[in-house]
Amino acid sequence: MRNICCYVLLSILTCGSLKAEGFGDGRYAGNHPQAALEAATEAIAIKADRIDTVTSGVIENGIIVITDGRIKAIGNDIEIPDVAEVIDVPDKTIFPGIVNPSSRIGLSLPPTGGPASNPHYRVVDELYPHQDQYKRILGAGFTTMGLLPGDRGTMSYYSGYGYFFGGRSPIPGITGQGAVIRPTGNNPEEMIVAESGFIMIYFQANDKVKKVIKSALDSAKNKANSDDPKVQPLVEALEGRIPTFVVCNLPGEMLHLFELLEPYDKMKPVLIAGIETHLVAEELAKRKIPVILPARIDFKRNTRTRINVPRLLDEVGVKIALKPESNSVRGHEDFLMQVAELVKSGLNRQVAKKAITVNPAEMLAIGYRLGSLDVGKDANLLILTGDPLDVGTKIDKVMIEGKIVYEAPWGQATDE
Amino acid sequence: MKLRGGKPLMNKKHIHHKVLILLLAQALSATVVDSPLFANERVTAIRGGDLYTITDGIIKNGTILIEGGKISDIGQKIGIPKDANVIDAGGKIVMPGLVAVSAEAGVIGYPNIEKIADSLDPFDFSVSLALASGITTAMVSAGRPSGSNPVGGTTAVIKTSYGDLDQMLVKESVVQPVMISNSEWLRKTTFKQNLRKAQDYLRELAEYQRSEDKKKSEEPKKPGGLDEYIRLLKREVPALISASTANDILADLELVDQFDIRMILTDAVEAWIVAEEIAKRDVRVIITPRQKVRPNEDLSAPSGSNLEIGAILRKAGVKFAIIPPSTSFETWGVVGRDLMALPMEAAFAVSGGLDEQTALEAITITAAEIIGVADRVGSLQVGKDADIIILDGHPFHHKTFVDTTLINGKVLYEKSKSIYFAHITHDK
Repeated sequence: MRNICCYVLLSILTCGSLKAEGFGDGRYAGNHPQAALEAATEAIAIKADRIDTVTSGVIENGIIVITDGRIKAIGNDIEIPDVAEVIDVPDKTIFPGIVNPSSRIGLSLPPTGGPASNPHYRVVDELYPHQDQYKRILGAGFTTMGLLPGDRGTMSYYSGYGYFFGGRSPIPGITGQGAVIRPTGNNPEEMIVAESGFIMIYFQANDKVKKVIKSALDSAKNKANSDDPKVQPLVEALEGRIPTFVVCNLPGEMLHLFELLEPYDKMKPVLIAGIETHLVAEELAKRKIPVILPARIDFKRNTRTRINVPRLLDEVGVKIALKPESNSVRGHEDFLMQVAELVKSGLNRQVAKKAITVNPAEMLAIGYRLGSLDVGKDANLLILTGDPLDVGTKIDKVMIEGKIVYEAPWGQATDE
Repeated sequence: MKLRGGKPLMNKKHIHHKVLILLLAQALSATVVDSPLFANERVTAIRGGDLYTITDGIIKNGTILIEGGKISDIGQKIGIPKDANVIDAGGKIVMPGLVAVSAEAGVIGYPNIEKIADSLDPFDFSVSLALASGITTAMVSAGRPSGSNPVGGTTAVIKTSYGDLDQMLVKESVVQPVMISNSEWLRKTTFKQNLRKAQDYLRELAEYQRSEDKKKSEEPKKPGGLDEYIRLLKREVPALISASTANDILADLELVDQFDIRMILTDAVEAWIVAEEIAKRDVRVIITPRQKVRPNEDLSAPSGSNLEIGAILRKAGVKFAIIPPSTSFETWGVVGRDLMALPMEAAFAVSGGLDEQTALEAITITAAEIIGVADRVGSLQVGKDADIIILDGHPFHHKTFVDTTLINGKVLYEKSKSIYFAHITHDK
């Protein structure tokens, strides 16, 4: 009996000390992001082999100084403050955290039904922070997510029998207010970067959906502000104070969309595209509409001829952002490899890097504070074993706003 | 003589379009210098081919001039302007773009749409296949009658102008689909009752309008849910009815006698049996010569299909259009049963004794007349839309390919650039 008591006591003590160690060195920070967030010191300096800023070139043997979660200085000859905690990674590459501009990860399937306008609906109200998915996508390098209020998923392919979609069809029309989040935190407040980041429209080219969208937008037209929670978000969108994300799956439907949005000239539309978007590339370029595309090589319809749609759009000057093909963890884990495939078949490497960082950040209207490694921006970054678009590269550490939120579970990642 | 082909309606709409185009052109000339509209102003000439005009015979080694998307001149001795964009059709056959009276193409398949114009898809794969098949005009539909309701769904005539939404719609709501048959007595009862109600209303309205003192009597109120019936009775649109047996056809012809409506019979397998009756009432027919239906052994009268249907209808003076068994465009399944082989279907009518001229008309001008757009397409005539196909052989030959397809004077398909057909060549 006494022995058993001793064992129990001992095991409790042991567990406790192990746990404490875990918190202390941040090793398990990936599993306990909040602990890591609290443990961060005021100043951090990262010394790395390469710093890929995305917007201002690559700095060899560079230093990043971070204070209060923001990048204070970046370059070669930078003074490291005495108090700074130094992360010395002489064989690593630093790259901005990946931004996924349009996702439903961690959210349930949207409701289905006929066309409707629900601009007052907010996706932040359905956040479930304690989901394993969020922890796992951190490990895939995603530090910022745009969450969609209702999405059909990306049209995945076409066959002779019709179009196939992931997920199920939600209510078309105005689906609500999208949010920008960091995939870490114990409650919605800790996750939210922007709670009404953008308005989302789920467009379909048919008389009923067009009518619903048009009458909702017209109710907010020429108004500076409104007390009506169903109108005010649309006022924000029409005035261009927040972007408008529009899901539109077919190139033919986009021609209808352009016509529908014609009267709302201050609106800042961002297109979440489906298949064959290259067919309207010139139209998109002319209208300066940025496009979010799945990172995927497509087939020309009813052929086995491959087409690199992001490349074709970029070549005529359309601003693109890439997103994982699915809302699953696996989709996020495979993302960099799929982007690398696009680069392998001709997408400009630099454009590809922008398309997963600064471009989606700008589309979400948070480009001023994240998306690249520039002075003043949030210290959202990845510590990598090499170039992010080399398939052998591993993510060693992930930092959000100056705090390490993920560390590879195998400790020091190597090329083995 | 009754009105034909819905031309009066067409003209009105047409005028609107013209005014719009003029306004648009003016606006553009003020702002944009090298707009595509002006590129179109350059004359296009197709020369050297044999021109199958359909309405005016065959012009050997002829020339067609195209200006502003329309045929501006046609004949043998025509001067080609110096700066014209010349298409050489030497040794080839030039004919109007084919017209499909029913097609599944160019419409995004959302359920319950009421306006096809809002769901047109110029990038639809079927639209690109239609161009390769020589089809430049087609009637498309959305929805259909459901439950006990005999009328429902809507139709539109479109051009297969790939990539160009603005050129696509020709005319919306061109025919009224009606679903009645022997086996669906409830629908037929509803149809006749509603036609009578609509008739009563129109009669009262006419009386009211005739009456000298309009203040004394009250204007009759339009009953709800009868819009389609009123349009039928006013002969604004024909009723499109599927009727395959002679029995059904005769029953539908009775409706023409009773209500004086215009009518198109489709799936009319046994139309050959009652050809004279159809001809008497000027009812149009859509046939599929290849379709085979066994005779009903329980009947004393003739029944079933007949390959000679085209020849028999022609002899009786019935105007008919031809469509294949499947009205889709398919790159899979059995080759030749869909709209990618529309001329082949007409060739089957020829093999059943029909003359080639009428068979060609059945996939061009007659088809256009049935869907109410014969004033714009269906033949090579001055003033008509320059919807033209250039073939590398006779339209009824199985080796023949569409070489070039133009819509409104613009080349939209060239076989030499097709990823599907460019590599296929024949020793001719």
